[in-house]
Amino acid sequence: MTNIAQARIKREFKEVVKSDEVAACNITLELVDDKYNELIGKIAGPPDTPYAEGTFCLEIRIPETYPFNPPIVKFLTKIWHPNISSVTGAICLDILKDQWAAAMTLRTVLLSLQALLAAAEPDDPQDAVVAQQYKENYSIFEKTAKHWTAVYAGGPKSCPELDSKITSLKNMGFDENQARAALSSKGWDIERATEYLIN
Amino acid sequence: MSSDTEKPSTSAEASGSGSNSAGPGEDDDKTAAYECNICLDTAHDAVVSMCGHLFCWPCLHQWLETRPHRQLCPVCKAGIGKDKVIPIYGRGNPNPQDPREKLPPRPQGQRPEPETTGGFPGFGFGDAGFQFSFGIGAFPFGIFTSSFNMSDNRPGPPPPGSAQHTEEQFLSRIFLWVAIIFIFWLIVA
Repeated sequence: MTNIAQARIKREFKEVVKSDEVAACNITLELVDDKYNELIGKIAGPPDTPYAEGTFCLEIRIPETYPFNPPIVKFLTKIWHPNISSVTGAICLDILKDQWAAAMTLRTVLLSLQALLAAAEPDDPQDAVVAQQYKENYSIFEKTAKHWTAVYAGGPKSCPELDSKITSLKNMGFDENQARAALSSKGWDIERATEYLIN
Repeated sequence: MSSDTEKPSTSAEASGSGSNSAGPGEDDDKTAAYECNICLDTAHDAVVSMCGHLFCWPCLHQWLETRPHRQLCPVCKAGIGKDKVIPIYGRGNPNPQDPREKLPPRPQGQRPEPETTGGFPGFGFGDAGFQFSFGIGAFPFGIFTSSFNMSDNRPGPPPPGSAQHTEEQFLSRIFLWVAIIFIFWLIVA
């Protein structure tokens, strides 16, 4: 890693640790090792959204050309969101692609991701299934996103009805995570989800 | 006058010692205002954009090089460019130099030497060689002027048997063939 990238990450790391957002438990940043090219970020789900009270972990990799090119970020915590892949955690956010600017920092990236959780862009989706659900049946989307937050991000338990549907598919011999993904993408219809899992 | 000049200097000293005693935290805040927006270190070879944002010139140059077709201020995304930044010269620097001129070095204008083909040394000296270039321009009549030397004002052909004469014969034959091929191509096409 070039010196400028490493020196900058060191400074940014200090900046984030000292910042007010950390004091408010909104964002945190941890080093994976002492090489400063890989970090783990954590953001709190914004209040009044399906992600409220959840904590979402992010993998942040720093390219050698940082800060002239953006950091490579993806969600480690599974999340149900139109702009985040429910399978891989890949993020569709302009500032992580062509709208990156060299003056942006890891702190602004984490805050932007938090803002993305509060304001999804279903017209520019990363996960087409989620985006379609968001646009066509928002109440099911909200229920699903809350459920995923509860299961994967430590959010409050939401809807026991959904848990029982997953249990019934588990009893049929399916993996719990696969059952959840199938039910989520098929609008929690057990028959369609079973069909999807079998195929 | 002397008392006037003394006063600010003593007050500057006082504030300087004050900040020293105040501890490193306050010092950080003061220098932070002069941090480059890209490397986050105190700006060296500093330049400021029209939108008022401070950078090290090497940092900004690398940013502009990274996106040559999208030159935006890294802070506010206003338009920016090499000619739209102002270098800053502080008092501490004994011989100020425009940072844009030293690092990285400005690309030089290029002027390659014209290619000299073998067997055409007389070109440009006003001798008979000049006729060849004229012949191409006034094609196809130029062929006759160059082949038969019909012009009166020009210096006469070199004596037969000299090295220049053979070269000219050789070249005029080449151009004649080029012309024939060209006419043939015109007919075929």
